Amino acid sequence: MSEKRDGRIWIAGMDNVFSGQTIANLDMYDTLPQSRPIRVLPDVWVAKIGGQSIMDRGRAAVFPIIEELVAAKDAGIQFVLCVGGGTRARHSYALGLDLGMPTGALAKIGASIPVQNARMLQMLTAKHGGIMVYHDDLEKLPLYLATRCLPIMSGMPPFEFWEKSPAVGRLPSHRTDAGTYLLAEFLGAKGVIYIKDEDGLFTADPKKDAKARLVFHADAGELLRNGPDDLIVERVVLDYMQRAKHVREVRILNGLKKGQVLAALRGQAVGSVIAAGGAR
Amino acid sequence: MSSDLVSGDGRMHVKSGLMRESLVSKSLNEATEGGPIRRMVPDVSFIAVGGQSIMDRGAEAVLPLVKTIVALRSRHKLVIGVGGGARVRHTYAIGMDLGLPIGGLARVMGAIEEQNRDVLVFLLGPHGGITFIKDHLQDLPMWLDGGMIPVCIGQPPYHFWEPPPMNGRLPENGTDVGLFLMAELIGAERIVYVKDVDGLYTADPAVDPHARLIADITAKELMEKNLPDLPFDRELLRCVERSRLLGGFHLVNGLNPESLQQVFEGTKTGSVIRAGAERIAV
Repeated sequence: MSEKRDGRIWIAGMDNVFSGQTIANLDMYDTLPQSRPIRVLPDVWVAKIGGQSIMDRGRAAVFPIIEELVAAKDAGIQFVLCVGGGTRARHSYALGLDLGMPTGALAKIGASIPVQNARMLQMLTAKHGGIMVYHDDLEKLPLYLATRCLPIMSGMPPFEFWEKSPAVGRLPSHRTDAGTYLLAEFLGAKGVIYIKDEDGLFTADPKKDAKARLVFHADAGELLRNGPDDLIVERVVLDYMQRAKHVREVRILNGLKKGQVLAALRGQAVGSVIAAGGAR
Repeated sequence: MSSDLVSGDGRMHVKSGLMRESLVSKSLNEATEGGPIRRMVPDVSFIAVGGQSIMDRGAEAVLPLVKTIVALRSRHKLVIGVGGGARVRHTYAIGMDLGLPIGGLARVMGAIEEQNRDVLVFLLGPHGGITFIKDHLQDLPMWLDGGMIPVCIGQPPYHFWEPPPMNGRLPENGTDVGLFLMAELIGAERIVYVKDVDGLYTADPAVDPHARLIADITAKELMEKNLPDLPFDRELLRCVERSRLLGGFHLVNGLNPESLQQVFEGTKTGSVIRAGAERIAV
């Protein structure tokens, strides 16, 4: 016969700060001791190669970036390489929208494209230790890094069918920028570097507006509130940064310019930085 | 839609309505609103069984509920989801003391829900209970047509990618959220949360004699009330508010399984939390 307390099965030792509480109880959190979570892999950078901005340009853009990444790895710099989807992902979303698919289904089909790109990068870097890391293999990262491999992942988070409907529209709001960022925050990583085809953040889309100016340093909250209609990074990243424990800034740089990727991985200030004000 | 290839700016594009877009633009996202959304498995009802509120009570609460579920299955296609309960809280307490990041807490929590799923699959086994894992979501119609009762965990597979919470210090995307998202995705007929309260109250009825039942409310109104505690995940309200298909959820007392039956008969019982009418796609 099982022992019960308050009508629930209970054994000695189960008592804890959350016993009997609902997770939604806000007052409860004030009573908890404040502590900062550990950093899982603090010496590791998370870099993302853009899909539309880099991969879709083919060899001319991709090969020089790979050279710099391999040089960084050979210099002992540790990083995980994520990749975006690009134009085929946009085509998938256009098709799905046309057919009346909900957001979660769009996220599911959209997730296939960055996996293609990750596999392409793995083939290109195999001779330098390029290794494909699926979401379920994340816990093997220490092994891959210790053996001087070059871990490559799809930038998409594993939400897929569980992607939430956004406040506005139907496109998944967590795509490869978000997945890359959330991975870095989980790892307590050294930093996040988005490798794109622009010098950084602009006051408007420089591909559409000739008057757009480069911004070297921007505040995440300010960008969300008063920023331009279009941004170089997914909005949820700016939102999450402000609540994050570890990774409170991201760097955006131009991978088409020689030396930028390597410089950023060496900790040099290239491109633009978007930061969340104040420590949490 | 044509699939012509377009180049000329150094990139190779597949021609589409979203060509060259960052997909971040607010105006572009607004343009994707509207139009019908199709339902993938429309004629199914989700029953979300509470962890702490039902499962932890053991035979006394679980067996009558299982009986009710089996009876309902003869007339309705059902998916059963289940939460963790006391062992999830213990996991969180130890995990937080060890300094696990939010994604780490989310990753280890699911194992407890899997235990409770396996318990329900065991109990429902003689009546067609079957383990339903995320990789088999697209097989759902087959199982339902075969008369099975698929049982799944609630937590969405965000795992290490769990976003930092807006409120509190625990993963906000828990059992209630995950099951709602799944029901919303497939365009289910309804979702019923089965807990140990008669519905949603203005305060905890066990403590406050003036607590009143809220029989029907929109998620937005409820969020504005900013109640200090809720019998479900707070994030669930944001999901309801953004719902296009499901339109809301029922909350009933599983300690009185008749009340679950009443939801399926269309009798007023427990509480209903709705999305604002303007959100619902036609």
